[in-house]
Amino acid sequence: MQLIQKYEEEMALVRGWAGWIGVLLLAAGLLAAPWVLKGYQLYIANIIGIKIIVAIGLNLLVGYTGQISLGHVGFVAIGAYAATHFVTAFERSAAFQWVGGPFWVALLVGGAAAAVFGVLVGLPALRLEGPYLSIVTLGFGLAVQQILINWPAVSGGRIGMFVPTPKIGPWWLDSDRGLYFLVWTCVVLGSLVAFNLTRSHVGRAFVALRDSDIAAEVTGVNLRYYKTLAFAVSTFYAGLGGALEAYVVQYLEPTMFNLYESIYYLAMVVVGGLGTIPGSMFGATLLSFLQFGLSGAQEYLPVLYGAVVILVMTVEPLGLYGRWLKIKLWSKTWPL
Amino acid sequence: MYFWQLVVSGLSIGSLYALVSLGIVLLYRTSRVLNFAHGDMSMITTMVAYSLLTAAGFAFGPAAVLTLAVAFAAGAAFYFLVLRPVKEATLLGQIITTAGFSLVLSGLAVVVWSADTKVLPFPLSRAVVYNIAGLAVNQVALGSFLVAVVSVLGLYLLVQRTRFGLAMRAVSQNDVAARVLGIPVRRVFAVTWGVSATLGAIAGMLLAPVTLVSPSMMFDPFLKGFAGAVLGGLDSLPGAIVGSLVIGVVENLFGGYVSTSLRTTVAFVMIIAVLLVRPEGLFGHKFMRRV
Amino acid sequence: MRLAYRARIAMGLALVMAALLVLPAAAQERGITPTEIILGVSAPLSGPAAPWGATARGVEAYLAYINEQGGIHGRTLRFEIRDDGYQPARAVANVRELVERVGVFGIVGMIGSANAAAVRDYMFRNEVVWMTPAVESDPWIGNPNITYLFVTYPNYYQEAKILARYAVEELGLSRIAVFYQNDQYGSNGLRGVRDALAEMGMAPVAEVSYELTDADLSVHALRIAQAQADAVVMYATPNHGAMMAAALAQQNPRPQILSSFTLADPIMARLAGPAWDGVIVPSYFPYPGTDEKVDRVLQILVERNPELANMAFNALAGVTFVEPMLEGLRRAGPNLTKESFVAAMESIQNWDGELLRGVTFGPGRRQGINSIFLARMVNGVPEPLTDWIEYPVEF
Repeated sequence: MQLIQKYEEEMALVRGWAGWIGVLLLAAGLLAAPWVLKGYQLYIANIIGIKIIVAIGLNLLVGYTGQISLGHVGFVAIGAYAATHFVTAFERSAAFQWVGGPFWVALLVGGAAAAVFGVLVGLPALRLEGPYLSIVTLGFGLAVQQILINWPAVSGGRIGMFVPTPKIGPWWLDSDRGLYFLVWTCVVLGSLVAFNLTRSHVGRAFVALRDSDIAAEVTGVNLRYYKTLAFAVSTFYAGLGGALEAYVVQYLEPTMFNLYESIYYLAMVVVGGLGTIPGSMFGATLLSFLQFGLSGAQEYLPVLYGAVVILVMTVEPLGLYGRWLKIKLWSKTWPL
Repeated sequence: MYFWQLVVSGLSIGSLYALVSLGIVLLYRTSRVLNFAHGDMSMITTMVAYSLLTAAGFAFGPAAVLTLAVAFAAGAAFYFLVLRPVKEATLLGQIITTAGFSLVLSGLAVVVWSADTKVLPFPLSRAVVYNIAGLAVNQVALGSFLVAVVSVLGLYLLVQRTRFGLAMRAVSQNDVAARVLGIPVRRVFAVTWGVSATLGAIAGMLLAPVTLVSPSMMFDPFLKGFAGAVLGGLDSLPGAIVGSLVIGVVENLFGGYVSTSLRTTVAFVMIIAVLLVRPEGLFGHKFMRRV
Repeated sequence: MRLAYRARIAMGLALVMAALLVLPAAAQERGITPTEIILGVSAPLSGPAAPWGATARGVEAYLAYINEQGGIHGRTLRFEIRDDGYQPARAVANVRELVERVGVFGIVGMIGSANAAAVRDYMFRNEVVWMTPAVESDPWIGNPNITYLFVTYPNYYQEAKILARYAVEELGLSRIAVFYQNDQYGSNGLRGVRDALAEMGMAPVAEVSYELTDADLSVHALRIAQAQADAVVMYATPNHGAMMAAALAQQNPRPQILSSFTLADPIMARLAGPAWDGVIVPSYFPYPGTDEKVDRVLQILVERNPELANMAFNALAGVTFVEPMLEGLRRAGPNLTKESFVAAMESIQNWDGELLRGVTFGPGRRQGINSIFLARMVNGVPEPLTDWIEYPVEF
């Protein structure tokens, strides 16, 4: 067993040779996937990637900072529509050609648009706690959906909106493989940013806020700034996820962004493990796979989904990541 | 006239929201758990009532009593079988467990009772309309309003006038201290779950003639009940009633004068506005924490 | 990073086409084996739209019956159902799995404008046979890609025009209100009523929308009462239609309800009770209980899936989606390919099925039916009011 001697070692992203082997295997798997998986499987992989991005963002808010959002799908919707409007506006203009076209810029635009609303919703969060905050976010999520339904100029109404095929530089991302690289590049970048954020002073401030906001304020953490920042970062991820969802599904319609989806996102975070980035990945992968991979279960699908959630929470209250830690600890203390 | 008619129908649906929200608040006060399965528990018990009334051929009275008993038992059982085992989970973990349970229930409803809409044989009729001071009120609305009032009175007596109610209030203030004092906390939790589910069952059966019986019948009433509970202050039983009635009336006035398509949004905007002024809701207690 | 180019795909397609040309007989059509024809659908079996999942169950039960009769030209029909919970992203995953992994010959039905829209381009690009997505007609009108699409479903917009005209011209009513679901289905109905009334120099006195999740419709009914409507055109689910009918029945005088054909459902008389009496409702196939053939089909379905007894209209609608396809498969003969199937479908002229009447397809015609008839409900039984009323063929 390896002894940790320095703070840098404790904070390192990848620990020891076993860690590096794991990372290399993961990278090899991710790179091989588009050649191993078939078309629709890649589509599902892309959806899972999107869910991972949103779940990581939500975890930064819920797991790290302790602020509940029951309307996260509202931010996903804002990101999706903002990005789509951006690309339809600039698709044919020369404005963004020098950076490789408007499509990847639109991902940032989607994220930023969602973050703006995130900050707005975060403002009341400075005063509200627990379930009171959850109802504000829930109301926000429902409001976004209803407003989109009743504002056809933005949403295309219930006819929906078709999303142009993304093109980055000279590459048309009209295949599942192209989209896979786009989505999973974002997943990797998003996780790296999240990892780095959580092990920096920002992450420590978030956790301090979660554990006791009064104590955190007394020790000099700027409550206002960090709570708002948590909302901004978290909703940026949601908006980015929404923009990617627009590219992958290539169609947007307000009912895609309903209350259930918000609850599914929250379930991914909790089932995966609150306050851990890999947990969000596990949770998002497991639960989206249930929905997208097992649709042959027909009307038993919600029963199955709910039962898995209950089972995980019963067997492992800390979520999948908690179990993973236990397995790791067990293997580390293996008497060899 | 139109105005008052809108108010009356708002109060009538609001009283049903109130029954839903009382179940939510009762549970929240005692255990701090927001029960996302509350709506679907009501829906399932209404399905049970439907089966008792049709397939099993019970009369309405016995079927209703039996349904309430089933609801009580199911609520308590849910606590012992599902929520107790996850007691180590965080509060959010427990909330998500209830959300998972809600998915299981709504799925089971489709599997067992199928997805079609059903009519619960109900002793009162919507076609019978009374004229009260120039306002039309149908029999179902009147009857359910009265049942709601009686249920609220019953709940008040239970919480404020019995030893058990005292124990519930003690647990809601500090469950560790209550345990130290010899209050059987687990039993109090279980009974609270049972009472909450019973309130939900009453709400479900009274909503049945309004919304008809289907697996998604409680979606909107649950949201509105939840909203009413937050508006009133989540730890206040009178607050839940007032909050729900306000939601019912505001929603109807907006629907009646402005638009029927943004009603839910308006209800939530109103809640957010209220929370900005009073973060603990209309009747809730101020947060006080020891540092 | 290697990304796929359009050219690459075009080349791939060209290769596949070349392969098909070289090996016309040996090449196996997707979804057709010597013993089987594979069909599939993604349907809402859970979630808020679960009742419409019965359309898929209806198809399933009817195909089971066809298989018991020996299938078609020695092939049995396999029907794969996937649940999408009424979510477009999941519908896409399901349809793609059905096409790419299961390898279906065609998709039968599809519920929900959004779900159908989300898979539309994929279906066209991959030239998948598609029978009657249960949606409005606008996406197909003037669309050049609908070679493999066959629709036997009425046009909501044209139906709404017929209803509005009937209310004004035959019933002599003038204050028409519209009660509609705030979605594509409802807004097509609203548009139809508006346009028909505008042609007669009138306008609806009230346009009241509701959301699929709305539980209480008292305020909607009050608005219609306030507008003193003497007729209400309804585009709603059975659930909301029954709730609204019950609320309108409390009004004096009671407005005449004219509803969309989606409420031509025997369940309505049970859900709304006497409030459904006198309602005028169109239908695109004979109403159950009024026609021997239709009753026989319903009996076949219920014998194989008793749950469908309570969802008769949806189950029968499912059969209307698949029925013309079965005729096409019969006509295409044992040497079945996609092209021979399309040719067989195009040969269907004025054909009467068990449910559908007067189905006509042709080269350049994919809209199989273009007529409905109106009936009035009397004691839960429909009494025909009109003969078949035709509307223009648009695609």
